[in-house]
Amino acid sequence: MNATDNVMLDVKGLRGGYGAIQVLHGLDFHVMEGEIVVILGANGAGKTTTLRAISGMIERTGAITVAGEAVGSAKAPDIVRKGVAHVPQGRGTLPELSVEDNLRVGAFIRKDDEVDSDMDQWFEAYPVLRERKNQRAGSLSGGEQQMLAVARALMSRPRLLLLDEPSLGLAPIIVSDLFERFAEINKETGTTMLVVEQNAQLALGIAARGYVLESGEIFTEGPADELIDDDAIRKAYLGI
Amino acid sequence: MELLINRVFDGLSNGATYALLAMALVMIFKATTLINFAQGEFAMFGGFIVMVLVLEQGLPVWIGVIVGMILSAVLAAVIERTLIRPFDPADHLPLVIITLGLFLAINAIAGIVWRFDPRAFPEMFPSGNVFTYGNASLSWYTVGTMVTIAVVAGGLTLLLNKTKIGLAFRAVSSNLESSELVGIRVGPTLQFGWAIAAAVGTLGVAVFVASPVRQLEPQVMVTGLIFAVSAAALGGLDSLGGAIAGGLAIGLVQSIVVPYLGVPSELSLFAAVAVLMLVLLFKPAGLFGTAAVERV
Amino acid sequence: MAAGTPMFTIEKGSAQYRAYRILGFALLALLIFIVAFAFNDTGSITLFDNDYKLSITRVTKAISFMVAILGLQVVAGFTGQLSLGQGFFFGTGAYLSAWLVADHGWNWFATLAVVVPVCFLLGLLFGVPALRIKGLYLALVTLGLAAIFPSLILLDILEPYTGGAAGKQVDSDLKPPGWLPLDGTVDLLNKLPVFGQYFGEGSGLSSKQEQRVWTFFLMVVLALVCFKMVNNLVKSRPGRAMRAVRDNETSAAVNGISLSYHKTMSFGVASALGGVGGMVYVAELGIASQGDFTQLLSILFIVGLVVGGVGTLSGAVIGGLVIAFIPDWASSTRGFPGLPERWLQGPTGGLILGIGLIVLTFVLPGGVIVGIRKIRDRIVRIIPRPPVIPGQHDLSDADAFNSPATAATV
Repeated sequence: MNATDNVMLDVKGLRGGYGAIQVLHGLDFHVMEGEIVVILGANGAGKTTTLRAISGMIERTGAITVAGEAVGSAKAPDIVRKGVAHVPQGRGTLPELSVEDNLRVGAFIRKDDEVDSDMDQWFEAYPVLRERKNQRAGSLSGGEQQMLAVARALMSRPRLLLLDEPSLGLAPIIVSDLFERFAEINKETGTTMLVVEQNAQLALGIAARGYVLESGEIFTEGPADELIDDDAIRKAYLGI
Repeated sequence: MELLINRVFDGLSNGATYALLAMALVMIFKATTLINFAQGEFAMFGGFIVMVLVLEQGLPVWIGVIVGMILSAVLAAVIERTLIRPFDPADHLPLVIITLGLFLAINAIAGIVWRFDPRAFPEMFPSGNVFTYGNASLSWYTVGTMVTIAVVAGGLTLLLNKTKIGLAFRAVSSNLESSELVGIRVGPTLQFGWAIAAAVGTLGVAVFVASPVRQLEPQVMVTGLIFAVSAAALGGLDSLGGAIAGGLAIGLVQSIVVPYLGVPSELSLFAAVAVLMLVLLFKPAGLFGTAAVERV
Repeated sequence: MAAGTPMFTIEKGSAQYRAYRILGFALLALLIFIVAFAFNDTGSITLFDNDYKLSITRVTKAISFMVAILGLQVVAGFTGQLSLGQGFFFGTGAYLSAWLVADHGWNWFATLAVVVPVCFLLGLLFGVPALRIKGLYLALVTLGLAAIFPSLILLDILEPYTGGAAGKQVDSDLKPPGWLPLDGTVDLLNKLPVFGQYFGEGSGLSSKQEQRVWTFFLMVVLALVCFKMVNNLVKSRPGRAMRAVRDNETSAAVNGISLSYHKTMSFGVASALGGVGGMVYVAELGIASQGDFTQLLSILFIVGLVVGGVGTLSGAVIGGLVIAFIPDWASSTRGFPGLPERWLQGPTGGLILGIGLIVLTFVLPGGVIVGIRKIRDRIVRIIPRPPVIPGQHDLSDADAFNSPATAATV
């Protein structure tokens, strides 16, 4: 990937949770423009909550800056307008709407006239989406829905893409294909990505750096190839 | 035979009103899974606004209807913003209580302002019949109501499928969280739904009382709501097309089955409630709705 | 969360607590006594030239509503099934007892032997399909039920029993026993300094007035019995099971609580109470007419339920008073400074209740009872008795042992 020297996402002292249950206890991390960064951790460590905090789905405190702009206490629809797109856990497809409508709604905040040509590009890249253009999105397979969800998120031409456990519920062969495509997208469009994953091996394979979360705090961090080789990490998170 | 034909036409035109009101209920239900118990009263109030515009301000009938629809949409939008939005959409109880409060309050306001004497409503469709065959006749009124439903159905379909706000509305009805994640502001989108529902309901009441045999008074939709709810349930609470089918069906049941079975007219309401119960018991998704998966 | 320390803190089970309870009962008895005699058509408040009657007939009417709302507390407050059809059972009880008393000469209270089982069974009958219909849908169906009641009454085949559109007239038979010194009591009260003037004009009670006072006392006793029974139900095992059903059906089912049994039972109980309320209503009013039992009444019951406080027994008392008095008083308001007279004609009662309901949902969603309890808690706070654990003498946090979930809500 072609990471630049600009910081796309800067997070300091992030705390957040669900009402009385606080999950994040002060996280500090950053993502450079064009990078793919991975957040790893066991179940319940707070990975999904972290993404939800950034995209504005939950109440949080701390300093979040996207491309130099402070996010403050903005809510989700406004954060989307700052260039953040979040593919939620479970894909968040709109099942009753057609594939085409799912893509179109991804471009909701855009006011330019290139929406249709963007859609065509996605149909080119993933012909299966074109085939099922007018079908209910809920009738697609898990892997297809995941691609649809990613395409939908990218329709808003975000600067930062948040991916929450994209491999969840998908067959291994689909998942490796999926991650290849993520790497491709990052290379071709330069979109910065922050990926939360349990499948550490695959995720570290495409990432530049990684953070490991434990009980709402950052346990360790480092370049992806170092994390992969770290014995303790391998034992704890890769089961090797 | 001719009596049957007349009854069918009567049933269809009655059903048109139930269909329109049912569509209003479905709009709100689709987006929020809330049943607006005050929908009938919104519609009745809108009907009175139309009457005032036409009979007291002298507007031509159809202009008055359109303006009345717009005004009731605005009122509903205000109500949504002030009374509905502060509450968590998932928690139904406070919202049900609010709609019941609105039911009482709006009904009372109409009673205070316009009293309870029935008033004649201006005619919306030409009087007389399109054609007559022996004792059977197809009135312009019946044709008019059918055309109205078709126009509304077409309009709503265009609105929902070809406009941005329509897309947003369908997205919110499908998955609220994902909608927020693509930047849709849920509040204003729901507000749009309430406004459209109110406008459609107003048209429904207007059509209902424009009949030469009916008059407008504040209690007009108190039992009408039950018919509309039965119609919506029959058609599947989240299906606009189902609402139309359900409304027409209930109207037909009311005018054909009830007299033929020798059931006294008071029991037509009973028939509607029975239909509602049977639908909810045996096919909660109605004829056309999407079935909800319920675990345990 | 202390809103200031209360003036008194009383431990449950202590002697102070017993004194507190006795004081409470004494106050209640005194209140009932005063209402019985002071409200006997001589009581009215005059505000801004409007005459607001505090008549005892209205209070008895309020009692009938209280019992109906109590029923709603059982089905909606305790098992979480929102029923908009309580008016149906209220009306059934009313007509049934009116018919038995008018046409067959039964004693009013004897009719309960028929009204209670009939309404209970009807409620069960209704509760069974209600199992499959949840939440809003149930509210819809019950509203439909309430809506059809008047048309059922008007059916030709039922006319000889119901009196059709004209209603069923009944002469109230509740004459007080001769030995009760109602007359003498009023004279005595009349002689009290300062307050005596509120107890009549010194001419004793007419027989109609005596009847009303007697009816009031009887109905108060009946209502107390009903409230006590529901209170016992709440504290009993079935009652706790019901509340488990309300709070989380899945956990309740998984814990072996039969959902269908408890839900249908609660419907039966609620409907029976509705029927009892109906009997009280028609015993006081003397006539049952179908226009009184429309879906509007069912909605009013919900108003009373919510205004008083869902899931509380005292809330039913407040709710009953509110829906009995506010519409009457609103229509008695002929003139209010600043408001044009024309605005005050018409169903202002409905308007006040509707707006009140909306405001309350924002301000006091738990009902008026929440506000009252806050005030009460400033004065007296009851704390549970700390448990005695053998071998331990230092218990710093007694409250940890008693979670609010197990405390009965009264």
